[in-house]
Amino acid sequence: MLDFLIFSGRLHPVVVHLPIGFLILAVLLDVAAWKVRFQYLRQAVPFVLFVGFISAVVACLLGYLLSLSGDYDAVLLERHKLSGIALAVCAGILLVIRLQITSFSPRLFSGLLVGMLVLISYSGHQGGNLTHGSDYLSMQTLLEEEREKPVSPSVALLYEDVVHPVLQQKCGQCHRSGKRKGEFSLSSHTELIAGGKSGPAIVPGKLAESELYRRITLDPAHEEFMPTDGKPPLTEDETALIAYWIEQAGAATSKSMGVLQANDTLLVQVASVLGLESRLIPSSSSGNGDYNHIPPSLDMALVEALRNKGLNVRINLHQPVVLDVTLPDHAGLKAADFQKELMGVGLHVVWLNLSDNDLTDDDLAFLKELPNLEKLRLENNPITDGIADHLKNMPHLEALNLNATQVTAAGVRKLKENPKLARIFTWNPGDS
Amino acid sequence: MSHHHDDQNNFRLHTPAFDKLNKQLDRRNFLTKTSLGIGALALGSLIGKSWASGTGAAPAAASNTAMDEVINALPHFAPKAKRIIYLFMSGGPSQIETFDYKPALVDLYGQDLPASVRQGQRLTAMSANQSKFPMVPSLYKFNQHGKNGTWVSELLPHTAKVVDDLCVIKSLHTEHINHDPAITFFQTGNQLPGRPSIGSWLSYGLGTDNQNLPAFIVLVSKNAPKDQPLYTRLWGNGFLPSEYQGVEFRAGKDPVLYLNNPEGYDGSDRHEMLNYLNRLNKLQNSAYGDPEVDARIAQYEMAYRMQTSVPDVMSVTDEPNEVFELYGPESRDAGTYAANCLLARKLLEKDVKFVQLYHQGWDHHGGLPAGIENQCRQTDQPTAALITDLKRRGLLEDTLVIWGGEFGRTVYSQGQLAPTNYGRDHHPRCFTMWMAGAGVKAGISYGETDDFSYNIVKDAVHVHDFQATLLHLMGVDHERLTYKFQGRRFRLTDTHGNVLKDILT
Repeated sequence: MLDFLIFSGRLHPVVVHLPIGFLILAVLLDVAAWKVRFQYLRQAVPFVLFVGFISAVVACLLGYLLSLSGDYDAVLLERHKLSGIALAVCAGILLVIRLQITSFSPRLFSGLLVGMLVLISYSGHQGGNLTHGSDYLSMQTLLEEEREKPVSPSVALLYEDVVHPVLQQKCGQCHRSGKRKGEFSLSSHTELIAGGKSGPAIVPGKLAESELYRRITLDPAHEEFMPTDGKPPLTEDETALIAYWIEQAGAATSKSMGVLQANDTLLVQVASVLGLESRLIPSSSSGNGDYNHIPPSLDMALVEALRNKGLNVRINLHQPVVLDVTLPDHAGLKAADFQKELMGVGLHVVWLNLSDNDLTDDDLAFLKELPNLEKLRLENNPITDGIADHLKNMPHLEALNLNATQVTAAGVRKLKENPKLARIFTWNPGDS
Repeated sequence: MSHHHDDQNNFRLHTPAFDKLNKQLDRRNFLTKTSLGIGALALGSLIGKSWASGTGAAPAAASNTAMDEVINALPHFAPKAKRIIYLFMSGGPSQIETFDYKPALVDLYGQDLPASVRQGQRLTAMSANQSKFPMVPSLYKFNQHGKNGTWVSELLPHTAKVVDDLCVIKSLHTEHINHDPAITFFQTGNQLPGRPSIGSWLSYGLGTDNQNLPAFIVLVSKNAPKDQPLYTRLWGNGFLPSEYQGVEFRAGKDPVLYLNNPEGYDGSDRHEMLNYLNRLNKLQNSAYGDPEVDARIAQYEMAYRMQTSVPDVMSVTDEPNEVFELYGPESRDAGTYAANCLLARKLLEKDVKFVQLYHQGWDHHGGLPAGIENQCRQTDQPTAALITDLKRRGLLEDTLVIWGGEFGRTVYSQGQLAPTNYGRDHHPRCFTMWMAGAGVKAGISYGETDDFSYNIVKDAVHVHDFQATLLHLMGVDHERLTYKFQGRRFRLTDTHGNVLKDILT
């Protein structure tokens, strides 16, 4: 039975709009009727007032049932209840006056009717405060400046830009001033720390004792898991950042990610929560190698330009953009034909295959300007020991294929001065 | 096959390709397009034609499907491997005679397998009703090889020489005890037919690096005992568009059937005919938008390019004698495992993404010694030669080599046990594979089995873990390469799989 009552109570926010509409319509009809053209509308006023009154009474009853479920700010609730009932009573009295007291001054009646608008507004505003929070429609909304979205994760303030908005979005519907489910609101930092019925929500520096963190990390099937009732749970990134905020940032305000010296993983998480276009490596893809020396982004038109020259360009990684470039064998291109385009993406090329293309040492002098090369294939080209001069200082070059070239042991010795260069291939098919 | 194909057509209403089509044609889009179109026309007549025609097409072109998003996110990691050669030893090679050295078995010769070891393991119907399960050690000696003293059987003298390049995984396990479900499981991630194979997933996800050859090529040894069948669906595209299926290169005169021009028909005629056909297909496609028409167009174009590229790559006349000696005498006989290994190397040199060799005949229920000697004789030298050849050419840098079957074999003898003859039944709980090359630690052994080579005692590797690792090495997060079909997203590893971080460099 109680369930049914609560269910009915939840219809209050819907039904309550009927008296609002009807009563305002009654006012409009009555006022309009002062114009001769619309005189006939006056006849409709009693009927509209009547349905307004009835619906107001129903709304009051349902509102009372809803108030039984608790969870509402007592002061606001009391104001809304009294003003709502007063409105219903007013509507009733005005109806009786209109129907029974024929001698009542029409002007005074209209005045009273218009005056009722004040009561409608007041009661409606209180009701709105109950549902949306008392700060939902306040002068503050007009005066308060919205925090500007931080331009990068490192300048973001952990509480103001990340934790607070996340909590507002995921928990704020129930835990806010005016509703305070579980006697807990997180509208302000003070209230958040203070907690509610289950004690302090956040214990700075102590994750294990922070009730809020415990609740959001329970098994979703657990009775005490938050957000409850199948509302969208916090994401992994959000949870991780809240944990970081409680533990490492002492649950404090006004601390930027930069000041906290947050690591890359956290910055990526902040970027993802804030919806910032992150130039960093996605947090899930560990094992990307260390590509910090490569610029994060690249104009794809430059890649297209290189492709248009007839080279195959594979994107090995998106963030940062890492490329694997292959000149097809016997492509019939001279180095000068594609050099400019290759340089355009130069910092991004880590694998390069120029094998079988009749390229000489001089043709390949541009290799020096590809500092991020890791694997380079030059087999089957008429190159000699001279190539060593171009390659001996490459800081990242690990593997170099010089099969079927004229590079000799002397050239290899020179190349081996490069400590990074771990594997040099100098096999000639004739040798076996 | 044709029946299978019809089924696919009937159920292809929820693939991304069809979703895209449906999206193009659904009511809302139709109305939006037509009303926008009419609006734009009206606007165009008001403010001048050039402006309207210049911008009218933009909204339609910008529409991105979920499929595009999945593909555009690739690769998820910087890949270690650019290509894969997968040597599939079909039938289930015995781990006990090859890599999983179990000296303790010698003292247990003929004894019944303890129930505490079998633990109620489900056996195949072929040996389940045996009254005894007599254990039998390897008839072949093991020796330690390489820097790390890896144990390798005397059956594999050539592989033993390259063992420092291998990562031997002794703790594979699967869920299936019969060939077809086990192979299908290995190749597609599910025991039931209908899912895309590994090569199709890679081809779909990563595209091709050589416009003139298929991204996924299959070679089946002609010289292997065909005791267990292979089905073309093992390299099938499942529900992926059909241009991503593996292409089998056959032994003999026509490696790809119907690729040659008919007699008396020259290349330019053919080209002209294909161009007209292409136009017809495109016309058809603009009317019906069937993704299979797209696939057909792509395949005709590929076939035309293959008319020159295939004879080129199949020709081994330029290979010096030394190469044939390396791969062994059979490498001169096209279609043998040895010749296929050599051919595979040539395909890898051309940046074919996924080459898969199948060598049947490892299903030694009885007469294991004679059978496995023959198998090893056919495959050992070419396999080792492939490693050697790829390594010296610098291709092992970015090529992943995989060797293995669909399951292992039992420690107990199936059928009569004689001093020099025995058999072994299928064994799913542990078996050995190896990987070599790009991104994999060289010269290590991973995982351990018990003294009976029956159960895994350390670092178990499930088939899905293997698949996840394979994709990882190619730069693919196995959880993110998905394809929506019949209302749900599918992936190679279904809902399983962990990348074997321990074996990665």
